[in-house]
Amino acid sequence: MSDFSFIGTLQKILMESGFAAFAKDPRSLIMIVVACVLFYLGIGKKFEPLLLVPIAFGILLANFPLTGMLNAPVVVDGATKSPGFLWVIYQGVQHAIYPSIIFLGIGAMTDFGPLIARPSSLLLGAAAQLGIFTAFLLALALGFDPNVAAAIGVIGGADGPTAILTASKLAEDYLPAIAIAAYSYMALIPLIQPPLMRLLTTQKEREVKMTQLRVVTKAEKIVFPIAVAIFVILLLPDTAPLIGMLMLGNLFRECGVVDRLSDTAQNALINIVTIFLGLSVGCKAVAENFLTVETIKIIILGLLAFMLSTVGGLIFGKIMYKLSGGKINPLIGSAGVSAVPMAARVSQVEGQKANPANFLLMHAMGPNVAGVIGSAVAAGFMIKVFGG
Amino acid sequence: MGNLTASSFLVALSGIVIVFIMLAVLCLMIPLISKVVLAFEKPQINNRVAPTTRPKPEQKPNATGVSGEVALIDVDEKTAACIMAIVSHETGIPLSELIFKSIKAI
Repeated sequence: MSDFSFIGTLQKILMESGFAAFAKDPRSLIMIVVACVLFYLGIGKKFEPLLLVPIAFGILLANFPLTGMLNAPVVVDGATKSPGFLWVIYQGVQHAIYPSIIFLGIGAMTDFGPLIARPSSLLLGAAAQLGIFTAFLLALALGFDPNVAAAIGVIGGADGPTAILTASKLAEDYLPAIAIAAYSYMALIPLIQPPLMRLLTTQKEREVKMTQLRVVTKAEKIVFPIAVAIFVILLLPDTAPLIGMLMLGNLFRECGVVDRLSDTAQNALINIVTIFLGLSVGCKAVAENFLTVETIKIIILGLLAFMLSTVGGLIFGKIMYKLSGGKINPLIGSAGVSAVPMAARVSQVEGQKANPANFLLMHAMGPNVAGVIGSAVAAGFMIKVFGG
Repeated sequence: MGNLTASSFLVALSGIVIVFIMLAVLCLMIPLISKVVLAFEKPQINNRVAPTTRPKPEQKPNATGVSGEVALIDVDEKTAACIMAIVSHETGIPLSELIFKSIKAI
C-alpha cells in the first residue's frame, strides 16, 4: 500500500483506456463518425430508422477499443473463456437465424391475395431480379471474387434479410457494407424509382386503369403458403430458411386459428429480432473491414443493382401491357423489387400523378410480394452455386 | 475485366432463367390450386346453405347502399349513424362499401 500513487494510478487508467487506444489507431475514431452519420440518417432523416439506429449503435460498440465485445470464446488450459456479448449476438446472423425470423414476421404481415388473384404478377417479380444478376457481373468486372460478387448482387433484390443472409454465407467481411447499402437504398426507393418509371413509360401507359381484382377465398389463402413451401423448397433446398419461414408466417396469418402466434410474429418477435439483427450487422463494421475502397464500390454497385432491378420490372411491365392489350399498367412492374410495401406505394403515387382516378396499390402488391419470393429464389441460387 | 469470365455470364443467365422458370411454374400452379380449392369449397357451401334456405326478406326501397343489419348494444340509432359516418369519412371508404356488424358502448 505504501507504493500507491494517485497520479500513477490515474496515468495507468488513462494509458489503458480506449482514448489512449484511439491515439494508436485512429481508424476506429473514423468509424465512430460513420456511426454518427448513420444516426443522423436514421433519426434525423428517418431512413429505415428501425434498422439504421441499432446498426449505428452496433458500429459504435464494435469500434470502442479494448471492450472485447467481439471476442470469440477461447479455450485456455481446458477452461473456456467467455465470449464477448456482440460475438454471441452475431451468431444469429452467422447461422441465418435472424433473417429467417424476420421473414416469419414479413410472412405474417403479408397478404398474398393480390398475387393469388393475378398470378401473372409473379413474372414481374421475376423480371425485377434482373439487377441481382447484372450487378453480380459488374462486381466481377470490378475485381470482386465470385462469391462476394454474388452477395453484392443480391442487394438488387431490395430485400434486407435476404441480402444479409446471402452475405453472411458468401461474404462475411462485407456484410456491414452490403446490409447498410441494402437498407439505405430501400429507404431511398421513393427517390430512386420515379425518374426511371417516368423515363421508361409513356403518359398513356401510366394512365392505364386496371380492372378490380377478383375476391380470393380464405381456403385459397391457406393452401397457398403450404403449396409454395412444398414446391420451392423441394426444388431449391437452400431457400428453405427464408421461404419456409415466410410461408409459415403467412399460414399463421391466414389459417385463423393461431391469431396469437400471428400477432407475436408480426409485432413482438420481429421487433426483438430487428434489434439483434441491427446490432449484429453493425458490430461487423470494424475499421479494417469497412474503411476500404471495396465499401465505396459496394455502395455504388448496390445503387446500380436497385436501378437495374427497377428497369427489369418496368420493361417486363411494358411487355405485359402490350400482351394484355393495354390492360396492365407497366408502373406495377417496378414494384417487383421486394421492398414491401414501399415499392408498391411508389407505383400507386406515380399512377395517381398520371391519372388521379388510378388506384394501383393492390395491383402493385402482387408483383411486390412476388419479388420477395423471387429474391429468395435468386439468393438460394447464388448460395447453391457459390456456397461450396 | 476483373474476374469476369465467360462462365460468369453463363451463371448470371442461368440464375435469371431459373428465377423465371420457378416463378412461372408457380404462376401456373396458383390457378390450378384455386380451381381445386374452389371445387372442394362449392359443395360445402351448397350443403351449408341448402337446409337453411329461406325466402329473402323484402328490401326497403329507401335502403340503398346499406347491407345487412347492425347490432346496436347500448347505443341509440342516432349515435350509431354518427359513428358510421365518421368511420366512412376517416377511412375514405364510401358508406355503401362498409359493413358494420355491431356497435357497442364501452
